[in-house]
Amino acid sequence: MPDISARYEQLITDLRQDFRPQREWGEGRGLFLVIGHFLVGVAAGAWLFGLLFDYLPGLIAGFLLAGAGGIAHLGFLGRPERFWKMARHVKTAWVARGFVGLALFLAGAALYLPPLLFAAWPWGAGSTIEGLGWLMAAAGMVILIVYMGFVYSASKGIPFWNSPLHPLLYMAYALRGGAAALLVAMAALGVPNQEMAERLITIWIAVTALVVVLFALEMQGALSGGNAAARRSARQMLAGRFAGYFYGGTLLLGLLLPMALVSGRLVPLSIAVLAAVGLLSALGDFFMKYTSIRAGIYVPLSLRPARIK
Amino acid sequence: MRWGMVIDLKRCIGCYGCQLACKAEHGTPPGVYYARVLKRENGEYPTVRQFVLPVLCNHCEDPPCVAACPTGASFKWEDDGIVDIDHDLCVGCRSCMMACPYTNRYFNEQPPHYFAQGATPFEEARTTRHQQNVVMKCNFCRERVRAGKQPACVANCPTIARYFGDLDDPLSEISVLIKERGGFTLNPEAGTGPSVYYLPP
Repeated sequence: MPDISARYEQLITDLRQDFRPQREWGEGRGLFLVIGHFLVGVAAGAWLFGLLFDYLPGLIAGFLLAGAGGIAHLGFLGRPERFWKMARHVKTAWVARGFVGLALFLAGAALYLPPLLFAAWPWGAGSTIEGLGWLMAAAGMVILIVYMGFVYSASKGIPFWNSPLHPLLYMAYALRGGAAALLVAMAALGVPNQEMAERLITIWIAVTALVVVLFALEMQGALSGGNAAARRSARQMLAGRFAGYFYGGTLLLGLLLPMALVSGRLVPLSIAVLAAVGLLSALGDFFMKYTSIRAGIYVPLSLRPARIK
Repeated sequence: MRWGMVIDLKRCIGCYGCQLACKAEHGTPPGVYYARVLKRENGEYPTVRQFVLPVLCNHCEDPPCVAACPTGASFKWEDDGIVDIDHDLCVGCRSCMMACPYTNRYFNEQPPHYFAQGATPFEEARTTRHQQNVVMKCNFCRERVRAGKQPACVANCPTIARYFGDLDDPLSEISVLIKERGGFTLNPEAGTGPSVYYLPP
């Protein structure tokens, strides 16, 4: 009861504010949504790089992470028992598209992976069912990489997310997360060959640079744009209540430290270092998503002075 | 036909009558306000002015909440333009809340009573019928309107600051008021075509 009473009081306080923070996504059970989006993004990226590098542990990691992401999404829903109804409105709703993408991905991966793992599986590698699974998982992967940013950018109530760069940023996060997942998998299960590890590190550096550029452009747009709510959101990330998460989690742990490790200046490059880079990178991405979601502020609802004579 | 509302800010005295009438009509749980009143103070003593802004769902012509809803729980009635929620379809993903540029949707996760002792007989009769963990919002009192009555907030406004009518009819009272007194909508830049208009104070 005290928790519920506190939430009620918080809502009443929020409703009185000019700049009302969104708390539904990211606070309380809303944290499951952030975790779900994070895991599903990493899963899709891991599947992509698993296919590109023909690296089975990467594919398995992608499948497991997507499953965990799906469960996290269910934990967020107010009525999880109705989850299957989310496929009804694919025509306009990005959440519905994401649900279909995740279902396709999980079903496809469940068809594609077993013959690669078990020789005596009812359908073998190279069979039609396996091919169908590959196709479904690939289609699901593309949807998962693409849809997430659009879920946010389509949110007209939150100007900070309502940016055309947001989908691109989330796509870049998925790639960075996928590269990080493969680095961790390689560190845990062994590197098939040195060249693959070097190529993956190069990809990680390139995608990280892309993330930095896109993020800087988005923040610049939010800070210099005409929308006061977006400006306030950006300030909350850079100098407000989420600054600690941003500077400590995203910038230090997720960017500077792994970059320093990759450069080989702190310690010599090794498998353990690759694992650390992957984990730190993923952690930084999580904080990035968490802070940008939590910093969301609703469009202020008030009379415009120009209207009042 | 497209139902719409006009709120005369010159007449509104910020008495919260609309908010209370709505609460009584729908028995909405704690934390859910189909209609509410915002008050802001501008200026410094002695030249302070208080602004009152009653808000509710804008029943937009192009509602972003409907587009964002993955299940089709949020929908618009074709015959009268009212935006409504089918609570049996709502999964509680709250994407409609993020899509609404007017922040007039609420997630019902509170217990259906206001007091720690439990539900009062009124709450037992009215509040507990609402589904929990779904999103709720104003539906222009559609049941009342279909029965030929006005929405509760309009019928109970003591200063007659609220008008309800057909926006598609150029001769309706609200169409005339909007035209003659320069009615405006909130956040027009959202491009959603709200059906709730305000007359300048």
